[in-house]
Amino acid sequence: MIQWSGRRKYLNVLAFIGPTLIGILIFNIYPIIFNTYISFTNRNQFHPNPDCSVGLTGIFEPTCWDVFKKNAPSGLGTPFKLQEPFYANYTDLLGNFFTPPVLLATLNIFLCFVPLIVAGQVNKRFEKNFDRTLSPGTVTTIAILLGVLLIYVLKIPEALDTIMKSGDFFVVTFRTLLYVAACIPLFFIVGLVLALLLNVPDLPGRAFFRVALIVPWAASTVAIMMSLVWKFFFQEKGTINQILATVGIQGQVWLNDPTIAFIVIVIANVWYSYPFFMVTILGALQSIPSELYEAAEVDGANYWQKLMNITLPLLRVAVIPVIVLSSISTFQMFGTVWAITGGGPSRGAGTPGATELVMVYAYKQVFQTGAYGRMGAFALIMFVLLFGATLYSLRISRITKGV
Amino acid sequence: MNRKTKTSLRILQAVLAILATLFALYPVWFVFLASGRAGQRLLTLNLLGTFIPTEWTFENYQVMLFDQPFLNWIRNSFFVASMTTISCLLIATSAAFAFSRMKFYGREWGLVLFLAIQSFPGVLSLVPIAQLLTAMGLYRNLWGLIMAYVSGTLIFTTMNLKGYFDTIPIDLEEAAMIDGCGPVQSFFLIALPLARPAIAVTALFAFMAGWGEYVLASVLIPAPDSAKTAMVGLYKMANELAVPWGYFAAGAVMIIIPVLIVFLYLQRYLEGGLTLGGVKG
Repeated sequence: MIQWSGRRKYLNVLAFIGPTLIGILIFNIYPIIFNTYISFTNRNQFHPNPDCSVGLTGIFEPTCWDVFKKNAPSGLGTPFKLQEPFYANYTDLLGNFFTPPVLLATLNIFLCFVPLIVAGQVNKRFEKNFDRTLSPGTVTTIAILLGVLLIYVLKIPEALDTIMKSGDFFVVTFRTLLYVAACIPLFFIVGLVLALLLNVPDLPGRAFFRVALIVPWAASTVAIMMSLVWKFFFQEKGTINQILATVGIQGQVWLNDPTIAFIVIVIANVWYSYPFFMVTILGALQSIPSELYEAAEVDGANYWQKLMNITLPLLRVAVIPVIVLSSISTFQMFGTVWAITGGGPSRGAGTPGATELVMVYAYKQVFQTGAYGRMGAFALIMFVLLFGATLYSLRISRITKGV
Repeated sequence: MNRKTKTSLRILQAVLAILATLFALYPVWFVFLASGRAGQRLLTLNLLGTFIPTEWTFENYQVMLFDQPFLNWIRNSFFVASMTTISCLLIATSAAFAFSRMKFYGREWGLVLFLAIQSFPGVLSLVPIAQLLTAMGLYRNLWGLIMAYVSGTLIFTTMNLKGYFDTIPIDLEEAAMIDGCGPVQSFFLIALPLARPAIAVTALFAFMAGWGEYVLASVLIPAPDSAKTAMVGLYKMANELAVPWGYFAAGAVMIIIPVLIVFLYLQRYLEGGLTLGGVKG
C-alpha cells in the first residue's frame, strides 16, 4: 500500500474515483431510489404522469427539475399519487403469503431441508475423526432419504400448490429458482467433463477441440440473436421435427409444451454458459501439481478416487466464485428466454406463462401492462433478496479477497 | 500420468469430444448455411442442406448490405460499442488504480457494495434510466445509450482491472515515490503500461457488452429504423410477420464473425487472464 502524504491526498483519491462514483450514483443508485419511491405510488398506464407540485415527486422525477422541464413529455392521463395505505403495492404482491395455510406450507417445505442441514453440520463436526462408524457419504444419503420421506409425509406438492396460488410473485420466483437449480449443476458438469477431456495430454486434435468448444461463449455476446436460432430448432417446421420426420415420427410444436419449453431454455443456457466454466476449470486443472496424482497412484487409487479426492477439492477455490456469479446472472436471465419463448406457453390470461422467469415477468408487466408502481415494489423485493444473497456469497467465496 | 491410454478409453474420449463439438458448433454452422441459401426460409426440404452446404448464393448478403439499413445498424453498433469501451476504460482504470493502491475510507467495502448494488434487476432500472435520459434530452440518441452502457459495465470493469493491478508488484511504484513521483505520474507512467494485457481483455468485454446488448437499446432507441443498433434491427426483422430468414441469417453471420475472430485471437488471455479479476461480466 502506498501512502502518498500531504493534504492533497483526498483530492487525489477523489480525482481518481470521482468519475466512476458519479456514474454509479446516477445510473445505478438513482434508479434504485426512484424505484423505491415509485413502488409506493399507484403509477400505471392510467396514471403515468408526475404531478410536480407533490413534494417528493418534484424531487425524484427528473422531468420535474427546472433544468430539464422543457424536455418533459406531455401525456394524457391523471397524475399518479401515493397509494393508500402507502404500502399497498407490497401487500398486493406478498399479502396472501401471511395467511396461516401459506405460512404452514412454507414451514413444511423448509422442514424437508432440515435433514440435509443437520447432515452437513454433523459431517463438519466429525470431519477430523477417521475412525467414525458412519462415513460422510452414508450420513448424506440418510439425510436425503429422510428428506424424500418428509416430502411424502408433509404432502409437499400440495404445500407448493398452496404457495403458488397465493400470487404471481411466488410462481415466478419459485420457477426462477427452479431454473437456476436446473442450470447451474449442468453448467458445472458439462464444463467439468469437457475440461477433463481437454486436459488429456494426448487427445488427438486437442488444439482444434479447444478452439471449437469455446465458440458458444463468443456467440453468447450476441445471445438474443442466437436464441432465435434455438427457437427455430424447436419450431413446428424446425430442424428437430425435420430430422424426426425422416425416421417417420410426427414431431410436435415443442415450445407449446410447458415442460419442454422449460427444458429448451435450460439447454440453450447451457450452450451459452458452459465454456466459461470449462475455461475456468481447465485453468485450475493445469495448476494442480502432478505430484499429487503420482502419490495417489502409488497408493493404488483409481481414476474415480483421484477425481473425487484430489481434483474436485482443489477445483473448489476456482469454481465457487464462478458458480456464485453464474447463479446471480441466471436468476436475472432475460434475453435468451425472451427470444425463445417470450415467457410462454401461455397458461391463461392473467397468470404468468410457463417459462416466465422473474425478469421476463417484470419486463412484461412494465412494458406491456404498464404497472410501474407494482413492479417498483417487485424490483425492490428482488433487490433486497439478491443484495443479501450477493453479500453472503461474496463473503463465502471471497471473490473480493484482498480488497 | 504418462501411462498409455487404453484404446477403448481413447475411443470414448474421441466420441465425447466430437459430440461436444457438434453441440457447440451446430447452431452457428446452421446460421452460416442458412445465410447462403436462396429463399427466405430457414427450413430446407433437402435434409442434407441442414448439415452441409448444398447450394450457395451471396444474394442475402448483397441485399443486407445494399438494400437494407444494415450498414447503418452496424455503424451505430460499432460507434456505441467503441465509445462505450473508450469512456469506460478512461473512467474505470483510474478508479481501479485508486482501489488497488490508495488508502482511503470505504476502500474495503466500497467495491463489495458496488457489486451488491449491481444485483438490482437491470430490466427494472430501465424505466428510471429512460426517464432520466428523456429529461436530459438524450432519449433516442446514441449518446444516451452510451451513457447507460458505460455505467452498466463500469463496476465489472473496475473490478477486473483492480484485480490485475493487485497482481502488479508495488515495488516499482514505491521506488518511484521515493524519487518524488506523485500518484498521477505513477498511474500514467508505471501502472498503465504494466496493465496493458488486462486493459486489452477488459476493453474486449466492454466492447462486447455494447455490441451485443439488446434490452436497453430496444427501449432507449425504438425508432427510426436507421438509428437502431444491429441487435435491435435484426431482432425486429426476425419478428416480422413473414420473417426474411435468409437476410436475418446473413446479418447474423456478419455480426458474429468479427466477434468469433476476436475471441479466438484472445483465447489464451481468457484462460487465466480474465479470471485474475475473479469476475465475469
